[in-house]
Amino acid sequence: MNSNVTEPIGQAGESSAQPEAAATILLIEDELVTRTSMAARLRRLGHRVLEAENGLVALDVARRERPDLSIVDWMMPEMDGPTFCETVRRDPLLKSSQLLLMTAHDQPAQIAEGLARGADDFLSKSASKQEIVARVLAGLRASRLVRKLETTGNELESSLLLLKKQQAETEADLQSAAAFVRSILPPQGSPAQGIALAWEYQPSLMLGGDLFGVMAIDADSLGLYILDASGHGVAAALRSASLMTFLRAEHMLQLLGSYDPEKVLTEANQRFPLSVEGEYFTLWVGQLHVPTGRLSYASAGHSGALASLAHGSLRWLTRSSFPLGFDPSAQFPCDYVDLQPGDRLFLLSDGIYEVPSPSGELWGRERFQDVIEGAKRTSLSATIASCFSQARSWQQAQFFSDDAAVVGLELAGGSEGGVNG
Amino acid sequence: MQINERVVPQGIILDVVGDLTYANRGVFKAAVDKAKSAGCRHLIVNLEKVRFIDSAGLGLLVLVSQNLKLIQAQLSVLKPQLYVREIMSLANIPKMIPIYDSEDAVSGARAA
Repeated sequence: MNSNVTEPIGQAGESSAQPEAAATILLIEDELVTRTSMAARLRRLGHRVLEAENGLVALDVARRERPDLSIVDWMMPEMDGPTFCETVRRDPLLKSSQLLLMTAHDQPAQIAEGLARGADDFLSKSASKQEIVARVLAGLRASRLVRKLETTGNELESSLLLLKKQQAETEADLQSAAAFVRSILPPQGSPAQGIALAWEYQPSLMLGGDLFGVMAIDADSLGLYILDASGHGVAAALRSASLMTFLRAEHMLQLLGSYDPEKVLTEANQRFPLSVEGEYFTLWVGQLHVPTGRLSYASAGHSGALASLAHGSLRWLTRSSFPLGFDPSAQFPCDYVDLQPGDRLFLLSDGIYEVPSPSGELWGRERFQDVIEGAKRTSLSATIASCFSQARSWQQAQFFSDDAAVVGLELAGGSEGGVNG
Repeated sequence: MQINERVVPQGIILDVVGDLTYANRGVFKAAVDKAKSAGCRHLIVNLEKVRFIDSAGLGLLVLVSQNLKLIQAQLSVLKPQLYVREIMSLANIPKMIPIYDSEDAVSGARAA
């Protein structure tokens, strides 16, 4: 091997063309006289020069030293210049190297072949001193740009990996939070003797702001609620979880002595004001006296509940009222309905029927009602599943743009159906 | 959503085109802030070309109304479509924010 590394030795002669910083140049030339002369000239420019007698030797040097620029002779034994260029372009470590191909015959066809085989530029062996300096400097400028791009690319890749790692951690946290929220939703089945409960819930994101509860208040009564936090995402979900905690039966009984819907809403209205960002809740609260089927309910701006009477029509259980926090002095008077065996009560979020078709037309409450009405003879869970499937069909999409929830309760005694039937 | 601003004798009208929803809240806030910084005393939000408003959009209207009242200014809503009007009625918004069916009605109400 005839390669050596020599430190810069002076800057006389071509000093007017000094580069910004000394670079490492690999000079590949089999003719000793030409190589020595060229090496000396490059060293006078202030560069560190490595020498190799052919392409094969040069590959080892290049892999070891990563030169800023390689000046390669065309004709050499063992491995010629164009083959060296091709080999470099295929090598993942070296492929971005700057290659200056030297030739004695700068014919257009030869230049084209050299460029096609991987050279970046050409240098005639008969070039003037000024031209040599200019082409070397141009090659080094390109090399610096490529190196900078490589560094930036590496940094971006590292940042991307870090972001992906953080995103995975965030998603794991969100999945954990979503699992927790689902765990505190009421279990499907029979929350009280003679009452069947089924529900379906699809948050628009991993965590939803629409939540609901069905819980025993005492031996004879169930407390019911469905809440809707304005907005979407983690912030809405956290606010909803806070209101959900507030609405726990034991908390209400301790605070108010009952689960009277009017009292619950009045208290919640004080505790959950409109935020400075305009965030708020709508909330529907009911209390069902199981032995008599009497439902007392009140709403704070919520689209409400729908009663599907076994021997009658549908009835929306809501009235115009301020959402929570709009007006500290707002009143939320109770209304009543007496449910009979076989009657069904649906608590729902507006996200189930405010779904647009591809043309922008909303599915709407009327179509939702039609599904409830038409599915009276099917089981409670099948009726709810039908609501979701038809809403999805309307919007021609699997996922909803808002949280969608439908909670169904059925008073035992109907001739058909059952919670899992 | 697009919002065009018009200066009229009654105040500033924001002509909203598109849905007023959570996704568009930034555009709406920016338009309101611009009107407020221009010294607007009566902001009229024209919902004639708004097909849908969600809970976040409703919250924004209420928040803007409350903030304007703090500086002795007023928010009104103009010509909401039927479905938007239903949503607003469910939340009792007409008790908090005047709703008008024409620009003439706005000026008549202000004059009265």
